[in-house]
Amino acid sequence: MALPKRIIKETERLLAEPVPGITAVPHEDNLRYFDVTIHGPAQSPYEGGVFHLELFLPEDYPMTPPKIRFLTKIYHPNIDRLGRICLDVLKSNWSPALQIRTILLSIQILLGAPNPDDPLANDVAQRWKEDEAAAIQTAKEWTRTHAMT
Amino acid sequence: MDYDPAHERPLKKRRFFVDDSSDATAPTTDPAAPRASFDASSSRANEDNGVNDFFTDHTQGLENAGQQVQPSTSVPTSKDVIHSHGQNAIDGFDTPTFISIVGEQLSPETLLKIRNASGGNLERAINIYFDGSWKISGGVQAARPSQTTLTARERAPLLPTPTPVPSSAAPGPVSIPDEVAKPTNAGPPRHMSQPSRRYIGAFGVGAWATRSGVGLVKHGDIVNIERARSQPLSTRGRGGKQRVNNKGDVLTRFTNSDGQEIGRLPRESAEWVSTLLDQKVCELRGVCVFAPDRLRVNDTIYLQLWCYLRIEAFQPRILSLSADNNRATTIFEDQESAEEKQLRLRQVALVKLFDEIGLQPMSQDDTTKKQKKEGLLRAAEMADQDSKKPKNGNDSEEEEPAELEEDQLDALYKKAQSFDFNMPEAQPPSTFALDLRKYQKQALHWMLAKEKDKKSGRELSMHPLWEQYTWPLKDVDDKDLPAVEGIKHFYVNPYSGELSLDFPAQEQHCLGGVLADEMGLGKTIEMLSLVHSHRNVPLAQNSNGTSASNLMRPSGVVPAPYTTLVVAPTSLLAQWESEALKASLPGSMKVLMYYGNEKAVNLRDLCSASNLAAPNVIVTSYGVVLAEHRQQLTTLASASSASWTPGNLFSVDFFRVILDEAHIIKNRRSKTARACYELKATHRWVLTGTPIVNRLEDLFSLVRFLKVEPWNNFSFWKTFITTPFENKEFVRALSVVQTVLEPLVLRRTKTMKTPEGEPLVPLPQRTVDIVEVELSDQEREIYNHIYTRAKQTFNNGVENGTLLKSYSTIFAQLLRLRQTCCHPILTRNKVIVADEEDAAAAADQSNELKDDMDLQELIDRFTAATENQTDSPAEAQDPLQKFTALALRQIQTESSGECPICSEEPMIDPAVTSCWHSACKKCLEDYIQHQTDKNVQPRCFSCRFPLTAQDIFEVIRHGNGTPPTPTPALQPPPSSDPDGGEDLYGSSQPPPRISLRRINPLSPSAHTSAKIHALLTHLARIPSGSKSVVFSQFTSFLDLISPQLTKAGIHHVRLDGTMPQKARAEVLAQFNKTETFSQEELDEAESTTPLANTPKPTTPTPSSTKPRHLSKLPTETSPTVLLISLRAGGVGLNLTSANNVFMMDPWWSFAIEAQAIDRVHRMGQTKDVNVVRFVTKESIEGRMLKVQERKMGIAGSLGMGGDGGEEEKRKERIEELRLLFE
Repeated sequence: MALPKRIIKETERLLAEPVPGITAVPHEDNLRYFDVTIHGPAQSPYEGGVFHLELFLPEDYPMTPPKIRFLTKIYHPNIDRLGRICLDVLKSNWSPALQIRTILLSIQILLGAPNPDDPLANDVAQRWKEDEAAAIQTAKEWTRTHAMT
Repeated sequence: MDYDPAHERPLKKRRFFVDDSSDATAPTTDPAAPRASFDASSSRANEDNGVNDFFTDHTQGLENAGQQVQPSTSVPTSKDVIHSHGQNAIDGFDTPTFISIVGEQLSPETLLKIRNASGGNLERAINIYFDGSWKISGGVQAARPSQTTLTARERAPLLPTPTPVPSSAAPGPVSIPDEVAKPTNAGPPRHMSQPSRRYIGAFGVGAWATRSGVGLVKHGDIVNIERARSQPLSTRGRGGKQRVNNKGDVLTRFTNSDGQEIGRLPRESAEWVSTLLDQKVCELRGVCVFAPDRLRVNDTIYLQLWCYLRIEAFQPRILSLSADNNRATTIFEDQESAEEKQLRLRQVALVKLFDEIGLQPMSQDDTTKKQKKEGLLRAAEMADQDSKKPKNGNDSEEEEPAELEEDQLDALYKKAQSFDFNMPEAQPPSTFALDLRKYQKQALHWMLAKEKDKKSGRELSMHPLWEQYTWPLKDVDDKDLPAVEGIKHFYVNPYSGELSLDFPAQEQHCLGGVLADEMGLGKTIEMLSLVHSHRNVPLAQNSNGTSASNLMRPSGVVPAPYTTLVVAPTSLLAQWESEALKASLPGSMKVLMYYGNEKAVNLRDLCSASNLAAPNVIVTSYGVVLAEHRQQLTTLASASSASWTPGNLFSVDFFRVILDEAHIIKNRRSKTARACYELKATHRWVLTGTPIVNRLEDLFSLVRFLKVEPWNNFSFWKTFITTPFENKEFVRALSVVQTVLEPLVLRRTKTMKTPEGEPLVPLPQRTVDIVEVELSDQEREIYNHIYTRAKQTFNNGVENGTLLKSYSTIFAQLLRLRQTCCHPILTRNKVIVADEEDAAAAADQSNELKDDMDLQELIDRFTAATENQTDSPAEAQDPLQKFTALALRQIQTESSGECPICSEEPMIDPAVTSCWHSACKKCLEDYIQHQTDKNVQPRCFSCRFPLTAQDIFEVIRHGNGTPPTPTPALQPPPSSDPDGGEDLYGSSQPPPRISLRRINPLSPSAHTSAKIHALLTHLARIPSGSKSVVFSQFTSFLDLISPQLTKAGIHHVRLDGTMPQKARAEVLAQFNKTETFSQEELDEAESTTPLANTPKPTTPTPSSTKPRHLSKLPTETSPTVLLISLRAGGVGLNLTSANNVFMMDPWWSFAIEAQAIDRVHRMGQTKDVNVVRFVTKESIEGRMLKVQERKMGIAGSLGMGGDGGEEEKRKERIEELRLLFE
């Protein structure tokens, strides 16, 4: 099946004008499948870490949002153990006007501003609420352990 | 003979008789001599004026003869008077009656003078007497009037031969005066000229007695044959109307020498004998062959009737004279004039008479001998039928003549169409600016030949309808009859009942004809080439002489030797004018549009031979001809000819008159037709693609206009063509019509091929595609519903055998089905639809967003709103308002940008949401659909504002006929910098008008249908600059298509039957306007520009008006689509500026559709024509195509005359219905 023009254009633009701190490279055998890296935002527990994600554009993209998941282990109240992300624009608030680029930016922002009130990983969120400093510490440790190799 | 001398001859006459006899005794070669001698010798009481009659030549002839042969002999006038008296009742001049009417005694000289002046016509004589004109007319011999009426015999007296004076001639057998006159021993007496009556034969008849008695009549007695006494004598004179032989008015009695009525002729003889007597064709003299001694009422008396043709019978018929005078025209509402009927009676009677006396025509054209014989028999047979009709009492019966079937028409034209491709060509003169095709040059040659066809140089041949008879030399008793010098023959037209002594030469009166080339072959151009080729050129030195001759006829008709009159339908007037100018080198043709004489154009002055600047062509309409004719009639009726309306169309004898679309006058009784007949011209032409529309009578009117003898006589036509046709003798009637048509008509059709197999007119290719349209689900549902109902009606009909009774019901349902195929709303209840429309309108109101909005207006609206708020700083500026204004402006410039959803650039069918976010129409629709499917409230992709399918608007860019899917090249260049761009393009390319159109409109009629959608798709594919015509038989469907085209930004116009002519013409002019300026427009512009030397108005001098001028250009371009109803597009339209045809719905017969297609695919079409016929898939329409095919098959297989009758037709209909439903 031919690749929709939209995907081609997005890919081209991602490669031509990459967002600082983000890379997205499609697989050669499947152009809908992207290897994504996001640098942890500065002044966040994830600073210095490079997080790997996988991104898949489903058949009816852009009607449906892309499927995206952290491959790198990350300690974050909105990201579960399997790397799944709790982000409204990836679910109910998805709009075809959004793009890979905007989604990845959103994820980057999410790293800088965890939202424990809308948790995906309940234990992490719990901890974040009860002892934020300890939680941040754990996150930093995880980053060092998993995202800085 | 047919009067009683004792009663009718006034005393005065007796005195003349005395004079006469003394005169005539003088020996002379004067033909009067024999009579004189007889007079002298025989003083029998029975000497009756018949003797006089016999020798009394028509006075004029006698005088001429007398003068020439014996100038020395002064013929006393009194003698002439005697003659005149003697024959008074015979030639219709009844002196006593005349005197009694006049009321004073007149001198014999006066009487003679008047009589001569009147040509023997009593009525005229009375008029002449009272208006005093006889006093100034010539001398005693006053030969002039006679010459006019009796030209026939002028020749005769000029050839006097000295004839032996008949000897004193023992009076012959007593009984027959004529015989008496004829000397038996000497040679037969000879006459110098035609006598007032001449023997032609005798026949026997068994009459019946009306009285009893002894010795009333016996063998050998002469009886007088009279018409019923009840008729006052004075009506004899002219009495067209009184003479009409009604039932019961055929009584013909005979009296004995004492004037007693003896009996009557049997009815079967009386029927025609009475006509002959009344119309003064014949005189009869009876001899009793046998009568019982003792006569009882109702006994049979055998009579031998001797027939004499009267001189009056040979006079040019008064009837035909009166046909030309105003009397005839004032009663022109009469359906079939009394004259026509009288003629018929006379014809019947003559044929009967010749039959009875066994007179055979002697000479005929060898070639036509056989035909002639058949013709005569036929005429007699027709005459029978004809004569019965009026006698049945329903005089006015004038049933509509039967219509012609298609195949009969084809057969008719076949002969006229046997076009010889090797026909010589004629080259138009150099003043003719256009190139003619080969067949057009041939037409020119043919027309020139027709116009210049003078009689000179051609051998005189007898008129094919006349027959030549020899005057009998022996009478029924085998006695010699007096011969008349120089007149051995007489001529009879058995079809019209005319008699003549002159050789009836076949004349081509009509220096014109019928140009019946099929529509689109260029009849107008052919005619204009003729106007150029055959014209009189004014001669300068001519000018003085002719003006004098004009003055001589102040009230008469002035010849217009340079002028051709063109009469055309109003809608074609302008076309004629422009074509005439286009076809002529500048200055070589003066064209005048004539709108009636109240416009102070005096045609008599303008067109006279002395006016060197006379127009070459005058173009006028049928309406004007009619109006002026009416005016002419009223002036003629109200006053004498002194107050002649000056210079109207009827005051001029044109060089040529051309009737365009001449089938307009197909009804010979219409006032327009009558008016056209009265136009005077040397050359008469009619142009029509359909000389016969549906009745043979249609052709008659043309022939009548062309004045083609003898077919322009309706009774003739009727006898010969209509009656046989109505009697189902199609082949006969049609073959006659063919012979009429052949020399008159030139007709070529578009389908004709040259011997090389080339089409006559190489028209561009025409391709017809049938495009199947799939109904949308909703439409299909409605269709199926209606179909089920219709089919049920059909099945019920079949089961109950009442199929044809419910035919109209089924037909109505079929109509519904066909409408559904076009647009379901066509079948819906109009009230409900109207309600929904109202609701939609209300919704528009509340929404503030209509189904269709102009973007600029919206922007203005919101901008105004924002500005108002800026003006009042107290209120916070509404950010939404501001955004809207901004967003709308962005739409203006950016809707051509990238689609945020699919990234197409530019967007495919840009659309916006009600929150003014734009994307491709399809992307938007898909997204809303996607959300709906997921049971999610659809929201704007951009602002997540809740949306519905109704909240999406298509962005339509208008202008230059750009198709709805603009190719990038046609798009205004997207400018990254709107402000800069505006300056760059603003002057030359203003922002196109943009409107926003709701995709799913609230109002039902705004929905498209499958067919409209298909149409739009096809229109979109058409390259710009190529125009299209869209035909539909439903004007209501056109109503629906039109707004869709508007929405698609397609500039279109519309033409249907409800529009007045003027509006139609306007629409056509608009549509046919080409994108480039035509020459006329240039000229126009030039003339309005003060600077005459401006080279091209299209490149105006730089001025402040420039932008305005340019900005008008796009909107003023000609429409690219013409919506036209199938029926209004029928006649004469020229739509060759288009080369795409869309047939929205099939008609029952393809011929109608083909005709519509031919509006576009006709002469003048330079591009290939693409025809698309939309047919809804799996629907009634597909089956209609089958019916069409079937019909074509049937039409082809039908033979001539094989009309199947009602029963066949019924079967056919049922068959068709089956095709539609099974």
